[in-house]
Order: sequence, then structure tokens, then C-alpha cells
Amino acid sequence: MSATGHRARHGRGLVTVLLASAAVGGCALLPAPPAPVPTSVVPSSVPAPTATADATQLSPDGFDAAQRMAVRIRNIGCGALSTGSGFALDEHTLVTNRHVVADSAQLELSTYDGRDVGAEAASTAALADLAVVRTVDPLPAAPVLAEADPAVGDPVTVVGYPLGRQLTVTDGRVVGTVTDPLHENLGEVLVTDAPVEPGSSGSAALDASGRVIGVVYAKNSDGLSFVVPVSTLRTLLSDTAAFAPAPSCG
Amino acid sequence: MTGPIGPAPSFGPQQGPAAPTSPVPAAAGWAPGAAGPTAAPPEPARSPGRPRRAVVLLTLALVGVLVAAGLVGARLWTTTQQWERTAADWEALARSHGDQLAQTQAELEATTGDLQATREQLATAQTRITELADEKAQLGDTTAAQQQLADYQARVSQAAGNVATALANCVDGQETLIGYLEDASRWDAADLARFRAEVERVCGAATEANAALQRELTR
Repeated sequence: MSATGHRARHGRGLVTVLLASAAVGGCALLPAPPAPVPTSVVPSSVPAPTATADATQLSPDGFDAAQRMAVRIRNIGCGALSTGSGFALDEHTLVTNRHVVADSAQLELSTYDGRDVGAEAASTAALADLAVVRTVDPLPAAPVLAEADPAVGDPVTVVGYPLGRQLTVTDGRVVGTVTDPLHENLGEVLVTDAPVEPGSSGSAALDASGRVIGVVYAKNSDGLSFVVPVSTLRTLLSDTAAFAPAPSCG
Repeated sequence: MTGPIGPAPSFGPQQGPAAPTSPVPAAAGWAPGAAGPTAAPPEPARSPGRPRRAVVLLTLALVGVLVAAGLVGARLWTTTQQWERTAADWEALARSHGDQLAQTQAELEATTGDLQATREQLATAQTRITELADEKAQLGDTTAAQQQLADYQARVSQAAGNVATALANCVDGQETLIGYLEDASRWDAADLARFRAEVERVCGAATEANAALQRELTR
């Protein structure tokens, strides 16, 4: 075997290797065939849309919680008839003003949708113009009491039956605090510019989150309304001796 | 050393550069110091098959390149065909989803319209419920007020009736007492006094009944 033959074989081998490498490398550089087309590109699961603000306010009948907790009170006295407002504290208890249930022979309650609710017994507080009424039938909805009194400038919403007519929702702001001008309440009361009328007494005053911040009990000639603050309400509700059976005229 | 570099002088007889040199046996005509045509220097031996092998190798390489190019071309053609089919499938899928999207959007629009109408109906129903609740409450107030009025009228009527009865009793008693007094000698004085006291009591009751009536009337 001569050296020339060896070199020739080397050359052929080298050429073969180069050709194979070029083929493999070239094939690697070629575009790959496409993946099969799926029958559908619709994802099997999609993230649920976030609930809108309105959706959070949905209720079984479309009325919001502020309306559903309101109660109309008819005080049938001895030769007198008056109306007031109140709101549910729990399923069988409502809160209103003392003067709304005073001198009554019979109390008649009705809800936002006109349902009658039987009243069982009324109790009044001596240190504030507040009263609680136990009901026979369950009340539709009850709000949450705010932890603290609102600050000046905070928004306030009043839900009640002004003049004993339709249920209304009015808005305003807390404009300050003052010593009770009627001397019906111990301590200071809230002053708001939310419009109220006779018959609105006992209405719930709500904050922007729908929590109770007080109970409307009076108004003045300047259109300002006076509210028993929720701190007073909480204090009296926590004191079992704060409420006594309401005197009846009958 | 600085002159131009020319052809190197040859040491043998001048020969044309293009003159072929026929193979000559390495030892033929060579002798030290001898001059003649056999004095050319020896050349390295060449393999007569080397150019042919180069040609063969080049040919093989060319064929290999052509084959590779063919394979690559075939592969590219096949791939292109596959991509075309895939693109067509994707387009069909996209059009299908587009149709579905259009259908869904149309349904959404219709549903949104229905929802809006339902909301309006709900708002109307809520307003009506509130109105009905108010009407019922007002009727209840009216009924309660009328009941209070009826109770009042009943109390007034009762008081008036009591007054009338008491007055009638009073009048009867006084008439009887007058009759007794017209012939007082026939009756025991103590009995007359007792009867007079009784008449005064009955008339006092009439006065009280009248006062009660007046109180009811002023309520």
C-alpha cells in the first residue's frame, strides 16, 4: 500500500465527512414543519369576570340593603295618630326614637315593600331619644353598626319615611357636633345637612359603606338634621338596664 | 546582490521551456562531466492517476452537493406545502372563530338589550312597589284615623246616651219628688229626705255624664 493511496482514501473520507456534516447541518438549519392545527383555540377555562359595583348591591328583589332594613312605624295613640321611621337591628329587633313610640296604644310596622310586621313590645331609653321594638315577624335585612362616630365632612345617607310617605334615601354630610338642643340626649349629637322631615325620626343614618352611624331624631328651621351618634346607641344597647318598657296610653 | 533577478543560469545545454521531455531512464546517457541531451536534472516522479482521482473526487463532491441540494430542495418544498396547508387550516379556524365571535357579539348585544330592558322593568317594578307600599300605608293611616274617629264617635254617643239616660232618670226622680212634695204630709219626712237625696244623686250622675260628654267633645 503506497502513501499516495493512503492520502486518496483520506481525501475521500474527508470529503464524505464534510458532505455528511453539510447535509446534517443544512437540515438543521431548514425550517421545521408546522405543528398540527388544533380543532379549537378557545381556552377551556377563563378567569371569571370581577363583579361590578352594582352586582355587589344585588338583593333578592333588587332593593338595596339600606331600603330593605327600613321600617315604617304607625303609632296609634289614644286619640292621636303619628308615624315615624326605624331600622332593623337584627331579625326581630328594630331601633327608632323614643318619641316615635311614646304614648302609644298600638304600634303597627311595615317594611319597604308594604308587608306588615307585628310589633311585640317597645322599650325606651331614658338617657337618649332611642327606643327598641321587638317584632313578631322577621325583618327583611339588618345593617351593621359602625365602630366609631363619623368625622366632620363624612358623607351620610338617611333612609326613612319623611312625612309618613314613601321611603326615601337622602344624602348629606356631617357638618359638626353639638350638645343636644332638645336636651333629650346625654352627650353630643351629630349635625348633618341631609334633608329630613317629620316622620323621618328614627331613620338610620348610614356612612358610605352602608354602616349605621346614627339615628335621626330632630331637625331645625335651617334644614339641619340632628342624629344620635352610633357610639351612644352602642353604649345603650350594651347596657341591659338602659331600656325600660315604654309607657302606653291604652 | 542588488541587480535584477533574472532567470537562473542553467548548467546544461539550452532547451526550450515548452519542449516536452520524454521520459528518460534515470541512468541513460548520464555520466559525470558528460555533456549532451541526457544532462538534464532529474524530476520527481509523478503518479499518472493523480489528476484523474482529483477529477473523480471533484465529480463526487459535485454529485454530493447536487444530491444534497436536491434533498434540501425537496425538504423545502415539502415543508412549504405543509406550511401552506397549515396556514389554510389556521385561516379556516380563525374564520370559524370569527363567525362564532360575531354570533356571540350579536347575542351579547341582544342580551345586553334584554338586560337593560329588564333593569328598566325592575326599576319600574321597584318604584311601583314603593308606591303601593306607600298607598297601603296611607290607607292604613286613614283606616286607623277613621277607627279612632269611630271610637271617638262611639264614646261621644255613649256619653251622650249616658247623659240622656241620667237626665231622664233625674227628671223622672224630680217629677216623682215633686209629686211627693205636693202631698208631703202623707209621707214620712225621713223617707222624703232619703228620696230627695237619691234624686240628687241621680241628677248628679247626669251632671257627671254631661261633663264626661263635654270632655269627649273637647278631645
